[in-house]
Amino acid sequence: MPRDTGFGNAACERYEALLEDYLSGELSGEDARVASEHWQNCAACRDALQNAAASSRLLRAAEPSRDPGPGFAHMVMARIRSAEEHDNAGSYANFWQPFVSLGWRFVVSATFAVGLLVSYNAGLGHRLQPAGTQVRPIDSTDLFAPEPAGAPASRSEVLMMVADNSHAKY
Amino acid sequence: MAASATALTLPFQSGERRIDDRELVRLSQNGTEAAFEELVRRHQHRVFALVAGILHRPDDVEDVAQQVFLKAYLGIKRFDQRAAFSTWLYKIAVNECWDYLRKKKVRPLVYEADLSEEQVSRLDGIVSSDRPPESVSARTETREILDRMLSALPEQDRQLLVLKEIEGFSVQELAEILDLNVNTVKVRLFRARGRIMETYRRRLNSAGKGHAASAANRKE
Repeated sequence: MPRDTGFGNAACERYEALLEDYLSGELSGEDARVASEHWQNCAACRDALQNAAASSRLLRAAEPSRDPGPGFAHMVMARIRSAEEHDNAGSYANFWQPFVSLGWRFVVSATFAVGLLVSYNAGLGHRLQPAGTQVRPIDSTDLFAPEPAGAPASRSEVLMMVADNSHAKY
Repeated sequence: MAASATALTLPFQSGERRIDDRELVRLSQNGTEAAFEELVRRHQHRVFALVAGILHRPDDVEDVAQQVFLKAYLGIKRFDQRAAFSTWLYKIAVNECWDYLRKKKVRPLVYEADLSEEQVSRLDGIVSSDRPPESVSARTETREILDRMLSALPEQDRQLLVLKEIEGFSVQELAEILDLNVNTVKVRLFRARGRIMETYRRRLNSAGKGHAASAANRKE
């Protein structure tokens, strides 16, 4: 059954590949017999074959692309060498890349740390110190005196103080 | 592959015997740059034809063809020779063409203008007489006219017809290059033939009408 393609000369779907083989001169044996029997009885396929043969005549009259000539291979090899050189330069850069990256990280970290220290020294540190904190002057004659008792900071310290006091009594 | 490992005089250069592609590939894989250069020389024409058939932009063909061989050179160590070198190379060429068209976002050239009466009558002579033009200049001009007509077809139809009928690739080769079933290539080719002839007849008719109109004007 011929296809409805919207343009004329449509062959039967089943025979399209055989028609192409016939055009290329590659149809022989059983395929050739079956195809020729069909074409004798199918006007659509006969028309399609004539149409296809005309297309072949038309297209084969065109000039194919020309050989680019002997210079082309030289240009290709020059491009390959250039790409390789570029690649080698890239590999050298890639080898040092982690070290360069590490160096930059170190520089940034060091700058940040120095900045922090300078700003602390310039007064920020004083402002951050709690108001109630006092610096105890060190008496040069009593270096090993016990720390003055302060208010216990936690439940554990309270219990420790109670335990110390009880031990002192006995 | 080291670029320096090439200063060899190989038999294929002196013409003593022709080394086949398989041996040249093996030599290339071992770093013999001259062997690869010989492969380029052997296949440059077909790669050019293939790229020209797909791109349909003559200005870019050489650049893309060079890129194809560069890719082949960079990948040749991974080529296991299970397929023919030419098939492998043509597949690289097809992929490179698609990449190029995608990256550049270019569409194939489309000729809007109709063919002149002279051009149509030239084609008519070819179709009816079965005598192709003999001179290169006439064939080149025919190619230009046909390119105009082919640009009216769907891209795949155009490529198949150009590669098969103009550039001389076989159905088998086209199936391998384009990753299609052989039967599918045959059917698509046959249908494309119908479409190009339909386009041709439309141009023929419009040229005939133009001719009749200009004759009528001359009478007046």
